[in-house]
Amino acid sequence: MELRQTDILVIGSGAAGLSSAVYAAQSNQHVLVLDKGVIGRSGSSTGAVQIAALGEWSNEDHKDSYLKDIDESGRGLSESSLMEALAEDISDRLKDLTEWGLKLDRNKDKQIAVSHTSGHSLPRSVSAKKGKTGLGILHTLRKKANASDHIETWNDVITIDLIKNGNRVVGAFVLDLKDHQPYLIQCKSVILATGGAGQLYPTTSNPVQSTSDGFSLGLSAGANLVDMEQVQFYPVSMVAPNSIAGFCISFYHYSKLYNSNGSRFMENYEPKQLEDTTRDKLAIAIATEVADGRGTENGGVWLDAADEIDQVKKEFPHEYKLCHERGIDFANNRAEIGPAAHFMMGGVQINEHGATEIPGLYVAGETAGGLHGGNRLGNNALSDCIVFGARAGISSAKEADELSSMPEVNDSMLLTAQQQIEQILTPINGEIRPYQLKEQIQTIMGQHVGVIRTNQGLKIAKEQLDEVETQMRDMTILNTEPYSREILDSIEARHMLRTAKAIVGSAIIRKESRGAHHNTDHPSLASSTYHTVANSHNGELSFSIASVQGGESK
Amino acid sequence: MKLHVQIQRSSGKTDHFEVSYGPEMTVLNILEEIYRHHDATIAYRYSCRTGLCTTCLMMINGKPELSCQKIVETDDEGILTLAPLPKGETIKDLVKEM
Ligand SMILES: Cc1cc2nc3c(=O)[nH]c(=O)nc-3n(C[C@H](O)[C@H](O)[C@H](O)COP(=O)(O)OP(=O)(O)OC[C@H]3O[C@@H](n4cnc5c(N)ncnc54)[C@H](O)[C@@H]3O)c2cc1C
Repeated sequence: MELRQTDILVIGSGAAGLSSAVYAAQSNQHVLVLDKGVIGRSGSSTGAVQIAALGEWSNEDHKDSYLKDIDESGRGLSESSLMEALAEDISDRLKDLTEWGLKLDRNKDKQIAVSHTSGHSLPRSVSAKKGKTGLGILHTLRKKANASDHIETWNDVITIDLIKNGNRVVGAFVLDLKDHQPYLIQCKSVILATGGAGQLYPTTSNPVQSTSDGFSLGLSAGANLVDMEQVQFYPVSMVAPNSIAGFCISFYHYSKLYNSNGSRFMENYEPKQLEDTTRDKLAIAIATEVADGRGTENGGVWLDAADEIDQVKKEFPHEYKLCHERGIDFANNRAEIGPAAHFMMGGVQINEHGATEIPGLYVAGETAGGLHGGNRLGNNALSDCIVFGARAGISSAKEADELSSMPEVNDSMLLTAQQQIEQILTPINGEIRPYQLKEQIQTIMGQHVGVIRTNQGLKIAKEQLDEVETQMRDMTILNTEPYSREILDSIEARHMLRTAKAIVGSAIIRKESRGAHHNTDHPSLASSTYHTVANSHNGELSFSIASVQGGESK
Repeated sequence: MKLHVQIQRSSGKTDHFEVSYGPEMTVLNILEEIYRHHDATIAYRYSCRTGLCTTCLMMINGKPELSCQKIVETDDEGILTLAPLPKGETIKDLVKEM
C-alpha cells in the first residue's frame, strides 16, 4: 500500500469534478483529480446536449422565474437554499466558461441560440459545439485544469472506500487499475463527483461508469442520502435497435407519441401540454400504456417526429444522424421509444456550499441530492454541475486553507485497507461472475423499482437484493492481472448493491406518489412534504424521514 | 450466425474467437460477448456508447474507428480484425494510455 498526499482530492472528472478542481486550484492548494475512466471523458457529462441558464439572452427571464420553475418541478422536495444558489450563480459560472474559451452556439442572426425545454416557463436552454454542450464544457475545463500548476489528474483509478479519522474524512483508498497498485490518499478534503446511478437498471442512457459509486461511498462515510427513490427515467429513449437501446431523444416536444392502437395517448394524460410535459409525467404515462397492454412488441410506444423534422435536424443533429445510421430516419419512420434510467435526483445531502455533515466531505453534481427534488428540469443538470462544482471547490479550498496541518492517517487504517485490497485481488473460484451480479441487480431494479412501483414489488426487491448480497460472497474472479475487468466489475457490484438497497429502502418509506416515485398502492400525494433519508451505521442501512426546507411547491 | 474475430493482444500473440452475432451488432457488442463468454481477460475501453467520448477508438479491420459506433463488417476472408491504435502506449490489449 502506497501513501500519497494532496490538499484536495476530487473523485470523478465530469463537469462537476472538473469544475470543483478548477475553482479549488484558484486558492493555490494542490488538487488531485482521479477517475476510474479517462479524465473528462467517462461520465454522463459527455452526452449532455444543452444547459439551462440565465444570461444576456434573458430578456423577460430572471432569477425569480427560474426559481419558480425549479421549485414547481421539484414537487415540493427541492431545498430552497440549493435552488437559490443555482439561480444566483448560474449566469456568472457560464460567463466564466465562455471567458475560458467555451463558444455558445449562435443562430442565423449571430445571436446566441436559445431554445425552449419542457417544464421551463421561458426559453433558457443554450448549447455549445452544435449541441455537444457537455463535451464543450469538459474540453474547456480540461484545458483550464491542464494549464494549472496546482492540478494533477490521474486516469484509470477506482475509489474503493473513503477513509475517516474520528468523524472526519481524511482521504480515500483507491486502486490503480493499470497496475493494480493500491494507494491510500491522504488529504484535507474530498470532493465526491462520481455522477449517477443509471447502471443500476437494465436500460439506461448513462455511460458504463455510472454504477452509483459515490452514493455508496457517501453512505460508507456516514453521510445522509436524501430522496434516493427519486430516479428520473428519461421518458423518450430508443428501445430498438438494441445497439442504441437507452439513447435519449431530446426532441419529444416536437413529436407525437402513439400507442399500439394508434391513439395519441398523451391527450388523456396531459390534454394541454401533451408530449411537451415534464419527464416524470411523461414517463409514467408511457409506462402505464405499456403496462396496460397498449405497448409495442419491444415494450415501448411509437414516436413520430415527421411534422417537425426540419427543426429536429437543426437543433439535434447528432441524435438525428445516429438514429439514421441505425436505420431510423425520423423524416419517414416512427421509432420505438420508452423510459430509460437517466438521472438520480436523490443523493448525498449537501448545504449551499456543497458541504455534507461529515467534516472534510464535499459533494457536487449528480452525486449530490436535494436540488432537483422529485423531478429535475431538462438541462438543469449541467447548470447544477458548474454551480455546485465551483461552490464545493471554493469552500473545500477555504477549509483546507484553515486547517493547520494534514489530518492524520494511522497504521490501523492502512492495515484495514491492505486487508481489503488483498481480498479484492485474490483469485476465487465461486459460483457467479461479477458481471452476472451486476446484471442481477439491474434485473431486480428494472422489474420492481422502475417507473411504476408497488408495495409488493419493493418488498420482493429488498429480499432479492439480500440474496444478491449472499451470492456476492461466492464470486468467481479468475483474472487478477492488471486492468482486470472482473476486478473492476466486482468493486462496482459492491457499490451498486449498497446504493440499490438505499433506493429500495427509501422507496419503501415514501408512502405516497410524488415526482418520479409512483407507487400504485399509494397513488396520491401525502398531505405533508418530507425527505426520505438513508444512512449507514456499521454497515447497516437505516431509513427515516426529515422535513424539507423548501420553497412554495407541494 | 458465427463471426470470426481476430484480436491483437498485448502479450504479443493474436487470439481468434468464434462469436455468435446478429446483424445489427456493433464491434463493442462483440467485445462484450467475448468478455462474458470467451475470455475474461480481454481488455478494452468504452464509456458513452453514443460516439461522443471517443474512448473506444481502436483499429477495426485496419482503420481507426469507434467500436461503439461501428456495425460489424468483415474483410474478404470473413474476419473481423481488432488491434490497438498504433500510436502511444498500450496499457493492455486494446486499451491505450489517454
Ligand atoms: C445521454 C445523456 C444526456 C444528457 N443530456 C443532458 C442535457 O442535455 N443537459 C443537462 O443539463 N443534463 C443532461 N444530462 C445529465 C447530465 O449530463 C449529468 O447529470 C451530469 O453531466 C453529471 O455530471 P457529473 O460531473 O456529476 O458526473 P459525470 O459526468 O457522470 O462524471 C462522473 C465521473 O466519475 C467517475 N467515477 C465514478 N465512480 C468513480 C469511482 N469509484 N472512482 C473514481 N472515479 C469514479 C466516472 O468515471 C465519471 O468520469 C444527460 C445525461 C445523459 C446520460
